[in-house]
Amino acid sequence: MSNQVTLTINNQAITVPAGSTIMEAAQKLGVTVPHFCWHPGLSIAGVCRFCMVRVEGMPKLQIACNTPASEGMKVDTVSEDVKDAHKWALEFHLINHPLDCPICDQAGECELQNYYMKVGKYQSQMEDDKVLKPKALDVGDTLVLDTERCILCSRCVRFEDEVTKTSTLGIFNRGDQATIGTYKDKKIKHNYSYNLADICPVGAFTAKDFRFKCRVWFLKETSTVCPGCSTGCNVSLFQNRNQREYYRLKPKHNPDVNGYWMCDTGRTMYEHLNASARIASPLLSGEQVSFPAALHALGDAVQSVSAEKIAVVFTAQYTNEEYTSVLHALKKMTGGLPKVFVWRDESEKEEDFDGILMRGDRNPNTRGMNDVFKTEGVKSVLLKADYSALASSGAELTLIFGPEVESAYPNMQAALSRLVEMKKTVFFGNGMQEPVNKMWLRMPVKVFAEKSGTFVNFNGIAQKLKANAPVFPAVKCVSEYFSQLSETTQSKA
Amino acid sequence: MAYVNVSRDPERNFKNGYLATSLVGMGTTLVTFAKQVFGLEESATVQWPEVEYQYSERFKGAHFLTKRPDGRVRCTACFLCATNCPAQCITIVAGESSDKGVEKFPVRFEIDILRCVFCGYCEEACPVDAIRMGPEYSMAGLAEQKWVYTKDHLLERDAVKRKLGEKQVSKKDENTKHETVESSLPGIHADHSHSGH
Repeated sequence: MSNQVTLTINNQAITVPAGSTIMEAAQKLGVTVPHFCWHPGLSIAGVCRFCMVRVEGMPKLQIACNTPASEGMKVDTVSEDVKDAHKWALEFHLINHPLDCPICDQAGECELQNYYMKVGKYQSQMEDDKVLKPKALDVGDTLVLDTERCILCSRCVRFEDEVTKTSTLGIFNRGDQATIGTYKDKKIKHNYSYNLADICPVGAFTAKDFRFKCRVWFLKETSTVCPGCSTGCNVSLFQNRNQREYYRLKPKHNPDVNGYWMCDTGRTMYEHLNASARIASPLLSGEQVSFPAALHALGDAVQSVSAEKIAVVFTAQYTNEEYTSVLHALKKMTGGLPKVFVWRDESEKEEDFDGILMRGDRNPNTRGMNDVFKTEGVKSVLLKADYSALASSGAELTLIFGPEVESAYPNMQAALSRLVEMKKTVFFGNGMQEPVNKMWLRMPVKVFAEKSGTFVNFNGIAQKLKANAPVFPAVKCVSEYFSQLSETTQSKA
Repeated sequence: MAYVNVSRDPERNFKNGYLATSLVGMGTTLVTFAKQVFGLEESATVQWPEVEYQYSERFKGAHFLTKRPDGRVRCTACFLCATNCPAQCITIVAGESSDKGVEKFPVRFEIDILRCVFCGYCEEACPVDAIRMGPEYSMAGLAEQKWVYTKDHLLERDAVKRKLGEKQVSKKDENTKHETVESSLPGIHADHSHSGH
């Protein structure tokens, strides 16, 4: 027996591995079968009875998610009786669903809404009152649960059982009284809780972080890479372009990197992008100056010392292109390579891994940075708890490329007060930490959402960032600053 | 080459001329004037602003926000009016209500009335009858006046109160949760006295 089977869906032939379901075959073919409880990252439950398809030779409609595909099977997903089945399944799902779309954060990306517009659109024939259930329940630090909106698809229960293995959720009672809920005295407490709000096809789980902040239809998404740790999860970043305000991140499927999920720490990666969390202008010896003036001062400072008197302190939060461009520019301007240091947080446990996605190395581009150092012939010195190597380097100019994600550097304040003791310090970053203002020059830089470039994750997978319009148009990324400097100066090399 | 002689209007004669038509018009004016002086006919002119013209109840003038029976704002901050507004003149900031039954309410609700085109789409989009175009039509003002109508202004407007009174309270079904429904978010209170609106 071969391990491939060929079936036809809507008269289109498709070959899938034996044991695949009709749903998987349909997905592979690009045919959408409406579904609620089926999720590609979870086990099959077959409880929503919504993915009905007609299989030739079978007396009744079958659910696509739990029917194995077999050789020569003929599946129909568009016939009238299938459409009718969808309509009636939807009617059943909506019997006790409250009509609170106006106050529901899921409205706009709700599968129930979408399918209603697609296959429903009818007057309900239900005459009895809707069953009332608890609403706006506090089920943890990150989520709000509305049990009335739940359609009992059990995706969240399976996520808790299979992905995080925390099993805090269950379906209680029976029939129309069945409600989703946490076990007694239990709260959802793990670093993957926002995934529950994502996989919930309706608005039963909504994120506290996003609660009532913005309607989803105002948001535009950009596919980029999470800068939260060295895993480099693929994410969609949501921005309200009229307000130039970032609101949230959601995971994007990538089987090689993050599968379907991302962690809660990664979800906070929009906070440092918004204008309120950032500095907008350069600060030269405590005075606000224009960007050209700051760049001019920087260019003079770099050219007035020899290459070995320059110390460069990198953090692994910049793109490959930025490291290369900074090193090239310095080489051109000073005729040699500077002393390179790598700043890591004291508390960082690089080898840690939580077993799902998040890694102890909270820098997105450690591997990429080391790759660049290798090709450029740079030998770096690690600055972790011990800064003596930098202090004894005799550097007259110290260029510090500070971390973009400051939450990854909990001891940043202490580290900065050590770094500021150097002779002439230039800080690149958006930090509002107090020692930064004591630096000779402070330059704001673009954040990951505003630049294109490459991050290489822990596994060696290079991934591209995608640039959005910047929040502060005058602010550039370090590669732009340095290429501008090197263009305007005479080469010494 | 063919041509049309336009040198003389075929309709032109003494009857259609300037003098005759002016006199006929003046005659009409004088007759109407005389009728109104002797009280034979009522004047169509309204002595505004001493006398206000009464438009029909369906007149769509300046916006106002309707109220719940207990006087609080009806709006649930669903953003449908702001979404539908072609002039993008509505700004809403939603917040968590401390009232258990309401859940979401507008912390800020502002209409930039200078951008508004009075199309009425906001009123049409509203699922809870919270925003309506009211009977107020005289909105002239000075440049330094605040032209962004705030939530308080939209709720407590003298012209609306005077003309609508009780009608500012929406008669549509209350979109509040049933009393028996349990909620447990911090900051939500069961009784309305902590409503904080």
